[in-house]
Amino acid sequence: MKAVAAQQGDHGRAGRPVLLSARGLHKSFGGVHAVRDISFDIPTGAVFAIIGPNGAGKSTLLNLMSGVYRCDAGSLAFDGTDMSALPAHRRVRLGIARTFQKIRLFKQLSVLDNVVAGFHIHHHIPAWQYLVHGPAFRRDHARCRAEAVALLAFVGLAARGDAIAGSLSYGEQRMLEFARALATKPRLLLVDEPAAGLNAAEVESLLDRIRTTRDKGVTVVVVEHNMDLVMNVADRVFVMDYGQQLFEGKPGDVQRNPAVVAAYLGGELM
Amino acid sequence: MRGRSIAARRLGFLAAALAIAALPMVLTGNYWQTNLTICAINVLLALGLDFILGYAGQLNLGQSAFYGLGAYVSVLLVMKWGVPFWVAFAGGVMFSGCAGMILALFAVRLRGHYLAIASLGFAVITYQILLNWISLTQGPLGIYAIPPPPAIALPGLPVIDFHNPTALFYLVAGFTLLVYFLLDQIVRSPIGETLTAIREDDVSAASLGINAAAWKTFAFGIGAAVGGAAGCFYGSFVGTLVPDAFFITESFTILSMVIVGGMGTLTGPVCGAILLTLLPELLREIGDLRLVVYGAALTLVVLFMPGGLVQAARAVRAKLGDLRGSTR
Repeated sequence: MKAVAAQQGDHGRAGRPVLLSARGLHKSFGGVHAVRDISFDIPTGAVFAIIGPNGAGKSTLLNLMSGVYRCDAGSLAFDGTDMSALPAHRRVRLGIARTFQKIRLFKQLSVLDNVVAGFHIHHHIPAWQYLVHGPAFRRDHARCRAEAVALLAFVGLAARGDAIAGSLSYGEQRMLEFARALATKPRLLLVDEPAAGLNAAEVESLLDRIRTTRDKGVTVVVVEHNMDLVMNVADRVFVMDYGQQLFEGKPGDVQRNPAVVAAYLGGELM
Repeated sequence: MRGRSIAARRLGFLAAALAIAALPMVLTGNYWQTNLTICAINVLLALGLDFILGYAGQLNLGQSAFYGLGAYVSVLLVMKWGVPFWVAFAGGVMFSGCAGMILALFAVRLRGHYLAIASLGFAVITYQILLNWISLTQGPLGIYAIPPPPAIALPGLPVIDFHNPTALFYLVAGFTLLVYFLLDQIVRSPIGETLTAIREDDVSAASLGINAAAWKTFAFGIGAAVGGAAGCFYGSFVGTLVPDAFFITESFTILSMVIVGGMGTLTGPVCGAILLTLLPELLREIGDLRLVVYGAALTLVVLFMPGGLVQAARAVRAKLGDLRGSTR
């Protein structure tokens, strides 16, 4: 089954080139094999969902992609370049951004400053103007503020720019984290458990932003255990359990796959 | 908001420059002029530590070592090898800055208490070296008769002689104001945003492309270099150097200045350093009881104003604003 999946990847789906390709990823913590022999190809411009029950290894897989963890074996290539050995901050420069399952904002800073911090790799200021602010500094400053304000408007936080990030509601914090990740101008955005802790309206609004982001040309990976939610937004679905791949394919085919139903849906539907 | 605050900051700088110019005329006499210069040196030390602690969030207890290294390196360059003062000054500053970066290279993986212990260990080791490398530092005997900075003779102006305590105060305070200006520019640039991001959450910072280890090393380098500059002035101001001036308790005194004033701001450490330099002097009349009062004052600040004097001032201003708003 894995070989079939890999073959589909090489041929490309609907002619889309592969943006991120994983081959034989392994990661274990002590004796626990969190990720075992995982391979996949993420097509450019798609929403690629990684689903599975709790403890399936989804978040570990995302942490391997973002560089929080290094894989014990296997390789990761982004747009053809091997990035297995790159630390997290270097992968951002390749064009990979992420959000966190447990929200990690700069809680003491203002909402606007949280987004502005996301422009770290996109400043154009000659070194001496850090010591004596000149015209280029002011241009950069104004541009970053304007782009940050636009991103806040995109996630519906335009009115909250001056608020302290820690004072936002949970749903707003998740939207802010999404905006901050977009500030790095990613080509691949990794979204970890976007629906966790959100109400139905907030989930819908976040899914809508994810679709818009994809339509702007950003490839999105969504890690999620709620399958219904994923069906609404995903172009490809990758199912895993106990660290291993169960299925990869179109959302419509997932529910017809007996292995997935047994491991996942069966339990939930009964 | 920032546009308005640029004008306000310019006014602030002007006021500070005027205050520096006026102070020696108001507070005359050797005693006060000495205290003023010590204030300026302590402000430098606190500013340097605050850059590491308040902005990058790294609990550095080694500031006394950077202070001492700056002092000893610059004085030894002048006294042993006859290097001109300002070259020796640059040497002391760079040596301290490099020491800070080297410490950071080893310590950036440590956090919180572990970093505190590692940097404290660095302070202890530096103190022991100053104390025991007798052939170089003369150990506890100390180095005596250190000359002040050479006189500056600008054409058309009277010669500025740094044997004169007022002139020396102007030199140190002017340099401190310059450092304040440069640090202010840095912390209001994307570098400030980057350091604050690391302070708040370094995993998050890495997810935005920030190389936390490199930026922590940068912060240590700058903060230590500023501390080293304070040391360079200290040697030529006091005229003698003994290792005890750079014992680890000095690190805690500087830490108190930053905390009492308010971490993560630049005005905070300035206020804290001035207050904690002058308070013990003002309390000198009550003898050893002053240490008790000093300790009590410190405890009260930490308990009731965790953000320091700056936070207290902001709270008062907000209260006044509310009152004015409600009467309108």
